[in-house]
Amino acid sequence: MDSSIYRQIGTCITMKALILVGGFGTRLRPLTLSIPKPLVEFANKPMILHQIEALKAVGVTEVVLAINYQPEVMLNFLKEFEAKLGITISCSQETEPLGTAGPLALARDKLIDGSGEPFFVLNSDVISEYPFKEMIEFHKAHGGEVSIVVTKVDEPSKYGVVVMEETTGKVDKFVEKPKLFVGNKINAGIYLLNPSVLDRIALRPTSIEKEIFPKIAAEKKLYAIVLSGFWMDIGQPKDYIAGLRLYLDSLRKKSSTKLATGHHIVGNVLVHESAKIGEGCLIGPDVVVGPGCVVEAGVRLSRCTVMRGVRIKKHACISSSIIGWHSTVGQWARVENMTILGEDVHVCDEIYSNGGVILPHKEIKSSILKPEIVM
Amino acid sequence: MKVPENVLGLSKRKKARKLPSFGLLLTYRKRVVSALSSHIPNSTLLSDTLLDLQENCFPFFYIIFRTFQSLLLRAYLMGISDEKVVAVIMVGGPTKGTRFRPLSLNIPKPLFPLAGQPMVHHPISACKRIPNLAQIYLVGFYEEREFAMYVSSISTELRVPVRYLREDKPHGSAGGLYNFRDLIMEDNPSHIFLLNCDVCCSFPLPEMLEAHKRYGGMGTILVIKVGCRGDLYFLLSFGLILVSLQVSAESASEFGELVADPVTNELLHYTEKPETFVSDRINCGVYVFTPDIFTAIQGVSSQRKDRANLRRLSSFEALQSATRNPPSDFVRLDQDILTPFAGKKKLYTYETMDFWEQIKTPGKSLKCSGLYLAQFRFTSPNLLASGDGTKSATIIGDVNIHPSAKVHPSAKIGPNVSISANARIGAGVRLISCIILDGVEIMENAVVFHAIVGWKSSIGKWSRVQASLTYGEAVTVEDEVVVTNSIVLPHKTLNVSVQDEILL
Repeated sequence: MDSSIYRQIGTCITMKALILVGGFGTRLRPLTLSIPKPLVEFANKPMILHQIEALKAVGVTEVVLAINYQPEVMLNFLKEFEAKLGITISCSQETEPLGTAGPLALARDKLIDGSGEPFFVLNSDVISEYPFKEMIEFHKAHGGEVSIVVTKVDEPSKYGVVVMEETTGKVDKFVEKPKLFVGNKINAGIYLLNPSVLDRIALRPTSIEKEIFPKIAAEKKLYAIVLSGFWMDIGQPKDYIAGLRLYLDSLRKKSSTKLATGHHIVGNVLVHESAKIGEGCLIGPDVVVGPGCVVEAGVRLSRCTVMRGVRIKKHACISSSIIGWHSTVGQWARVENMTILGEDVHVCDEIYSNGGVILPHKEIKSSILKPEIVM
Repeated sequence: MKVPENVLGLSKRKKARKLPSFGLLLTYRKRVVSALSSHIPNSTLLSDTLLDLQENCFPFFYIIFRTFQSLLLRAYLMGISDEKVVAVIMVGGPTKGTRFRPLSLNIPKPLFPLAGQPMVHHPISACKRIPNLAQIYLVGFYEEREFAMYVSSISTELRVPVRYLREDKPHGSAGGLYNFRDLIMEDNPSHIFLLNCDVCCSFPLPEMLEAHKRYGGMGTILVIKVGCRGDLYFLLSFGLILVSLQVSAESASEFGELVADPVTNELLHYTEKPETFVSDRINCGVYVFTPDIFTAIQGVSSQRKDRANLRRLSSFEALQSATRNPPSDFVRLDQDILTPFAGKKKLYTYETMDFWEQIKTPGKSLKCSGLYLAQFRFTSPNLLASGDGTKSATIIGDVNIHPSAKVHPSAKIGPNVSISANARIGAGVRLISCIILDGVEIMENAVVFHAIVGWKSSIGKWSRVQASLTYGEAVTVEDEVVVTNSIVLPHKTLNVSVQDEILL
C-alpha cells in the first residue's frame, strides 16, 4: 500500500513528522499521574501509537516528539516500537513552554534536511481517521505553503473557526470562538507544512493557530481539507469516552474482525485476547477490555474502558467510566457517570460510585453519591 | 406454694448439659432470676429451684424458659384466680398515618408487613403471652372489610378471639376505649391492656401485668429511658433523608415525657410532647388498666360536657368555641387522663430495657422490621432463613423469606431483609436491609439497598435501588437504572436514573 502512495505522489522520499505532546496532561488526570498522557491506552493501544502507526503507513520515517515532561519515560517506552515499525523516534525537549509554534523552531534542525519535503505536525490529543494520504495529495495539488485539516462540529463557538473557500479549500481567515456563526469547520490540529514555514517562527512562546497561520492565510498560501471521518480531542475523560465510541464505530466499518462477537456482546466491543469474561455477562456497547483483565460472572459493562490487569468481580455494573490499570471493582458495585479510577484503585463490594474521580492506590469503602474527587 | 411440675422436670432433663460460656450464662441467669422473682415473690421453694437452675442452665435454656415463662405464670395464676384479661389495640384510621405514604396508600398502615408479619401482628402475638387472655380487640376507624380477612386468620392461628371494632369517628385513644366499654367488659375482665399499634417493642406484657398487680393502682404505663437504649442500630449508611437512628434526649419532645418515683415507680408528672426538656423517660404507648379506667374517662367526658353546656348558656360564641374545643366524647389518654392523674397514686410505670421505636415513617418501618427480625433470634428462630449459597441463597444476618417466595441460590441476602409472598429474586441479586413486598420481581444482578419495594414492583437487571426510598405498588424500574434516595408513587415506570426525587 505504501508504495502505491509513492507512485501516485510521484516521489519516494523520506517524510518527517512532529507531534506536539506538550505538558503534564492534567486534564486526563488521574490517569496521567501514572504515565505520560501519550502512553495512556486508547482502545488497547497507547494514544501516540495510533498516530505513529498512521504516519508510518504514509511513509513517514522520522517522528519528533515535542515534549516538556518525562522524555526518558517516553523514549524508553517507544524504543521497542522504533525497531518494530522501522521508524526513528526522537524527542525535542522544551525547557519552558513554547506554545504550539515554538516547539517547531526548537526542533528546526531535526525537521530540515535540505530535501525541501513538507512535514506533518500533529496535536497529540487528537484521535481521528488521520487523512495523511489525502493531505499529501492535496498539498501537492494546491501548491501552497500549509495544508490543514478541518472538521465540522456542532458548536463552532467553542473553537477556532476556519473560514475557507468551499471549492478550492483556500483559507480566508481564522475566527477564534465566534459569537456569530461564520462557519462550522474548525482546526483539527493536523497540519502539513513546507519547511519554509519554519522561517516564520521565532524561538519563543508562539501560537501556530493564532499568530502564524493567520499571516500565511492572508498571503493566500494556506489551504484546508475537510475531514470525512471522525475526529475527537480526547484530552479529557468525557471526550475520551465519546472518542472511543467514534473510534469503535469506524473500526466496525473498516475491519469488524477485531471486534468481539457473541451472545453476551452488544454493539462495538474490543476485548483483548488475554482477557477473561465470565458467565452471564453483558458487555457493550462501546467497551474496551484490556490485556489480562478478569471480568467475573454476571458483570455488566457499557461505554467504558477497562485498562490492563483489572479485575471486575461478580454482578458489578460499570457504565460511562474508565477503570485504571490493575484496579478492582467489588461484587455488586456500581460504577458510573464518568467515574475515573486511577491506577490500582480498589472499589469495595456493593459500593456505588456516581462520577467519582479517584487518585491512584486508593481503596473506596463508602459510596460516592455525587461526582467528587477522592484524593 | 407449689412450683409446676413441668419446670422442675425440664430443669432436671437439662442438668447434664455443659456450660458453653460463663459470661453469657451469668447474664441470662440474672435475667431469669429477676424475671421469675418479679412474678412470684417470696417463694422459698422456688428460690431453691432457681438455684438449681442457675447452676445448670445454659443460654439456650433461657430461650426455652422464656417460652415456658407464660405457661408457668398461667399455671400459677390459675391456682389463685381465674381473672380474665382483654387487650385493646388502637389501630387508627385512614386519615391517620399520612406520614407513612406512599405505602399507606394501598394498605392500612397496621397491616404493613414488618419482619414478614403485619405491623399489628407483633403486638397481637405479644398479647398471646398474657395469662388468661380472653379477647383481643382492634379499635380503629378503618372500614371493617379491610381488617376482616386478617382478623379471621389471626384468630384461628393464635386460637384467641380477635375482633375488629370500628369507631364511627376518631374518639381519641381513651375515648375509643370508652366507646366500646360494654363489649370490652363483656367477659368481665380484671385487667385491660391498651396498646398502640404503631410502636415497635418487645411488649413485655406478662411482666407489666405482674408489676401492675404489685403496685395496686388503676394503670401502669410502659416507659423507656431515652438516650441509653440497647445497641445503636445504623439503619442507613447513606444517612440521607431518614436519619432516625435512635431516640435521643434532644428529640424526646416528640413523645410523652414523664417523671416516676424511683422507688415506688409511681407516675409523678406527665407532659405530652413538651417544648422543653422534662424527663428522659418517655411513654411507650403500652398500658394496662383495671376497669376503673372507664370511670376515669367518664369523669373527664362529663366534666367536659358540663363545661360546654355552661358556655352555651353563658355566651353567644358557644357555637364557635364548640368547634374549637374537642367534643365531649373525644378523650385523649395522654393529656386528659395521664396528666391529671399523675401524682395521685393511681398510675405507675414499668420500665423496659429492650428496644422501642415509634413507626411513623416508611424509613422507620425498615428499622423496626430489623428490630423484630433480631427478636426472632430469641423468640422464633424458625422464621429466620439460612443458607450458604450452595443449595439456597447466601444469607447474612437476620432474614425472613416467605415460603412462597423464590430466591435464586446465587443471590446474597441480608442483613435485615424480609421477603414477602410470591416474590421472585433472580440470579446474582444482592439485597441489603430492605423489605420486599408481595409479588415483587427482582431480576438478575440487581442490587437493593436500604429500600422498601412495593407490591408487584419489578426491578430490572443490573438496576440499583438504594438509600431509604420507598415504592408504591407496581413500580417498574427498567434494566440498569439507579434509583437513589427517592420516593416513587404507584404505577410508575423508571427508565432513567433518578436521585433525590419524589415521583408522583
